[in-house]
Order: sequence, then C-alpha cells, then structure tokens
Amino acid sequence: MDNRTIFFCEDSIDGIFTAVYDAWASRLGLGNVTVEVRGNQTLQLFAEYRQVETDHEKAAKVAATIQKRLGLEDYQVLYQAALSKEADKGEAVFRTLVLGLAEVKKKNITRNLGNPAVMRAFELSRTVGFEAHRYQMFVRFRELENGVLFSEIAAENQVLPMIGEHFSDRFPMENFMIYDRQHRDCLVHPGGKAWVILQDMDLEETMIRNYSKEEEKFAALWKGFVSSIAIEERANPRCQMNFMPKKYWKYMTEHDKRISV
Amino acid sequence: MHIQQEMDLYQKLNILTDAAKYDVACTSSGVDRKGDGRHMGNCQAPGICHSFSSDGRCISLLKILFTNECIFDCRYCINRSSNDVVRTSFTPEEVCQLTMEFYRRNFIEGLFLSSGILHSPNYTMDLIYQTLYKLRNEYHFRGYIHVKAIPGADPVLIEQTGFLADRMSVNLELPTAEGLKKLAPNKTRQKILMPMRQVQAKMQENQYEVALYHHAPQFVPAGQSTQMIIGATPESDYQIISVAESLYQKFELKRVFYSAFVSVNQDALLPSLPGGPPLLREHRLYQADWLMRFYGFAAGELLNEKRQNFNMLLDPKCDWALGHLEQFPVEVNRADLGELLRVPGIGPKSARRIVQARRFGALDYAALKKMGVVLKRALYFITCSGRMMYPVKLEEGYILRNLLNVKEKLPFEVQNYQQLSLFEDIGAVKMPGQLTINA
Repeated sequence: MDNRTIFFCEDSIDGIFTAVYDAWASRLGLGNVTVEVRGNQTLQLFAEYRQVETDHEKAAKVAATIQKRLGLEDYQVLYQAALSKEADKGEAVFRTLVLGLAEVKKKNITRNLGNPAVMRAFELSRTVGFEAHRYQMFVRFRELENGVLFSEIAAENQVLPMIGEHFSDRFPMENFMIYDRQHRDCLVHPGGKAWVILQDMDLEETMIRNYSKEEEKFAALWKGFVSSIAIEERANPRCQMNFMPKKYWKYMTEHDKRISV
Repeated sequence: MHIQQEMDLYQKLNILTDAAKYDVACTSSGVDRKGDGRHMGNCQAPGICHSFSSDGRCISLLKILFTNECIFDCRYCINRSSNDVVRTSFTPEEVCQLTMEFYRRNFIEGLFLSSGILHSPNYTMDLIYQTLYKLRNEYHFRGYIHVKAIPGADPVLIEQTGFLADRMSVNLELPTAEGLKKLAPNKTRQKILMPMRQVQAKMQENQYEVALYHHAPQFVPAGQSTQMIIGATPESDYQIISVAESLYQKFELKRVFYSAFVSVNQDALLPSLPGGPPLLREHRLYQADWLMRFYGFAAGELLNEKRQNFNMLLDPKCDWALGHLEQFPVEVNRADLGELLRVPGIGPKSARRIVQARRFGALDYAALKKMGVVLKRALYFITCSGRMMYPVKLEEGYILRNLLNVKEKLPFEVQNYQQLSLFEDIGAVKMPGQLTINA
C-alpha cells in the first residue's frame, strides 16, 4: 500500500528504542519511516524493510531524551506501551515521540488524547499496566524444598519488568522466582540482591513441584480461608469472575484442585 | 460454660474467618510505605486486592476474629452470647505466623484483626495490642494492619494499638442511636463515638509530631473507617447518607461502609427479609457515598426531607441530573472540572483526562469515547464544540425513558432484583414528560 521504510527491530524495549533512534536519524522524512517489531506478521509488499541491530547506547539516548523532553510520565507510558503484545506498538511509540518532540513548549504529550496516535500508545500502555497490576494481585508463591519461593504465570504482555521492583521491595531477603511460561522469561531475585530477568529459560518440571514440608499446610489453610470468607447469601460468581477472570485461576493456590481441604 | 476441646489451626481459622466475614472493610489503602531493604512488607496507597471470594467481594487482608467468644448479646450478630456456636480463640503467636506465611506467598496485603469481647473490653484490647506488638516488633512485619478499636476499652490501650496499626475502625453498627438501643443493648452510641473521636484527635496531633520530627512514630496513618448495617432498622436512605456525611466531615473518616443486613439469627426484633439481603439498596448507598467523596455532592443535594429514599431504577447521579436539567448541557471543551464531574457518564478519571487533553486542541465524541466517557449516558447532557451528539430533546421524560433503555451496568446479584421489582416500583418514578409525548 505505502512505500514507507520500516525499521524492523527486536521485540524488546532496547530494540524498539534503537529502531526509533535509527528511524529518526535516517533523514528519510518522519512521515516516510516507521518502526515495527519482528514477529510473525505478514510483510508489506511495497515497503522497504531495514533490519535494526539492537544497540544499548542508542536505546539509552532515546530513553534519556524522552525523560528530559517529554517528562517521566510520558516515559512511563511509552515504556509500558513498548511491552505490549500488539503488533503496532512500534508505530504508536514512534509517532507519539515524534509529536512530543515537535511540541517545544509543552511536556506530557501523552495527555493529548485527542490525537489518535497518542491515544493508541495510551491504550497499549493502559492494557499493559492493568495486566501488570493483575499479576501484582494474583501471583502466588509456593515454597520449594530449598526454601525458594516459586511462582508461574502466563502473561499476554511482557509484565515481568513491571512487577520486579514491587516484589523485590516487598520481599527483600527472600529468594524468589516468577516464571512467565508465555514468554519463557524468568524473574529471579536472590535474597538481598537486585532482581534480573533471564530470557529463553526452560525449567525442570520436577524441581518446581518439589514443595517444602510446610507448603501443603499453608496452601490448605489458605484455600480453607478463601471458602469460609464468602457469604452464602450474597453468592455471586459472575462478579467474582469480572474482578478475577478465569485465565488467572490456573496458577492460583486457592483454585488448585490438587490441594485438599 | 463452654466446653472446649483442642482444635487444630485449620479448624480455628475456619471458625474465626466464618465469624469475621460480616465485616465489610477489606481495603488495604491509604498508606504508602516502601520496604526497608531488610524486613518483609511494604504498602501501596491505592491498596491491592489479592483474590475474590465466590460472593464477588475482594480479599485483601487476612480477615479474622481473635476470638469469637463474646459477652455482648447484639441481636444481629452471629457471635452473640446467647447463640450456641463453637467458640475458639487464636494465640498471638498463631495470628503472627499465619499473617507472615500468607504474606510471603502473596496471598494477602496484611492483617485485619477484629474480635468478640472476651471477659471485658480492656482484656480484649490488650490481647489485640499484644498480637500487633509481636507482629511489628518480633516478626518485623511492614505490611498493612487494620484493627478494631473496642468500644469501652481504656484510651491508653487504644492509643498504643494505634501506633502499631495502619487503619483503625469502630463500627457504628446501626445508623441511629435508637436502632442501636434496640438491637445492641450492651452498646451505646456515645461509647462508640468516644474512641472514634479519640483516634481523630490523636491523628491530628500526630500530624504535627511527624511534621516536626521526621521519624516520629505514625499514628493510624491510613485513617479510620466505620460500617453500618442497612435494612435491620427502619432508617431512610436520607438519614443514612446524612449520618455518613457528618462522619466524613466531623470525624474525618476515610471510609464509611454499608452492609446489607444478612439475617443470621431468628429474632423477633429483626426484620425477616424473604428477598435476601437488600443488595440494590446497599449499591445505591455506595453510589451516593462515591458522589459525596469524589464528585463534590452534598447529601442534601441527592435526597431531602421530602424525598427520603433513592430511586431504585436509576442511579443517584442520573437521578440528580434529571432534576437539574437547567444546568445542562455542559460544553465539554470549556466546562470546569467540577461541572464535568456532575455529568452522568463522566467519572473522575475521564474528567481529568478531558481537562488535560483539551489543552492541546478541541475534543470530539470519538476521542471522548476512547477516554472512557460513557456516551450512552452522557450524550443527553453534553455538547462538544457546541454540538450535541444526536439531536436530542432536553426533556426529563424523554431522557428518562432512554436512560432506562440503556440498562445500567448493575452488579450481577442486583440485576435480577431489578427485573422483579420493576413493576412494583414503577409508580415511584415520576414521569412528567409523559404528557408531552402523548400529546
């Protein structure tokens, strides 16, 4: 359809920010370039694709520019949008950034929700933010034989970078892991140290089912608590599912059918 | 005389959870506390829910009674002394252990500790204090704690407990003093308001202490809340929201909770509710509560001496707007935040987004929709750059019929109720516009 030049990049924050840098620096005219992440989308016929090599220095420059020129609020929105699963996130981030840099006097371009590109970045960011919050709520740790707290999730968007800080601040001395089956990423926090995300991980299934002695007891106590706290006269499963959709139940202790109460 | 047998932790937890479930508050909001890098726990101001029980209520805190033994005989309460139920108590050690282990597994945000009155108010308050002391100072728990102040306990005990908790609450139980006298013979309004006033005064004093000395211990940093039972006594909605309003203004409460009366005891003084708990009424009261706290409405604007109860068919905000059509339509691109907040279909979030976005340029209806404005409700009350969305009449009967058509998104349990009662209540809805339509 159009003969734009598409900067084709790795699906990560740094990948997208590098592509943004290259697209901006390409001098092809801002209307003629865009950013797309590599995935399994159909390629466009007349567009020219340029492969982007992820460059952490370029990405850091872009991040610094966003923070300085657009402000921290915008950085948060664009960062979150870049973690989305949607294919058009590169375009949304790039367009919003171009608009933001064109506004010389005002910061916070992401408040300009009347603009469709900004609205799209805002929508993506909001969806990712909601999902990250859901996992702050619904992550469930099981204590393994070796004392490590282990949790697994299957997230639609890449939420691990957004929940790492929360859980490390909360459990500073605990050794814990959160494994994202969808992206095969694993957030690892060794007690007293900083958290990291390991990519392309596969876990040994027997190791993560090897619970500690106390674990069954507390899992059963919790399951019992959740069923006693409900008021029968107010039973309302639809409302429960609105707040806590069933896709999250799979890895939640209170809905684990293997635990007998 | 109770015969006690040894119970394991599992049975105790079930009994004392079951006994605590009628307490409504389960919020973990109101305090921001970062981790200290060594001990477990932090708090986030908006609060975090961790699960939802099968009645759709959120589970944020480990909500338990310390004991379900009670010397009081309140008619509505499952734990009243004249009821024959299994009685048991935790030890402080058990409560601490449960809290820590649940918290570690990300089950909960913290602890909600309430209690029946064992021996005397002082004795009970002291047990609660000891539990919290242990949790904070031996287990070094930094998560959220919500605790009940027991009416009639020594002010010194209440104050000391307040330094360990994040939120304190005293339940008002019933909206009026007469209701309380009838159904809770061991409690008086004055005894309930006293600790409430004490906590308020100490919180104000503490603000200065914390301002002066940065590390001064904080007293009830997340404020206090209360709850009242709806439908056990014959108060009107107007009385209830007036009480709530004065609690917000005079006692600076953070939250007032409304709890639809669930009949658990057979008692001649209690109403029998064949239709189940009055859930739709409770829902309307919460809507009004939100209007008072976040939308700048006064109780007297929503209801008055002449109209004492909420319209069951229409939410309080739409209802108010229909009675004040002279203030509409509102121009979205110019109206101030307060005016926007009064438009049905626009909430605090979308109102703020509108105010921020229109600095960059005029907004259209498509943008409003994406921002979160509920246009099917708002369209009768707004203009965008001078135009209404569709050509609609600004006329009460016309708008009312259309609003009833769009079907308010009610919580599931009250949807059925609404369908059933549609025909009984229809007489209560005034439809002055009807004449003009027929003509």
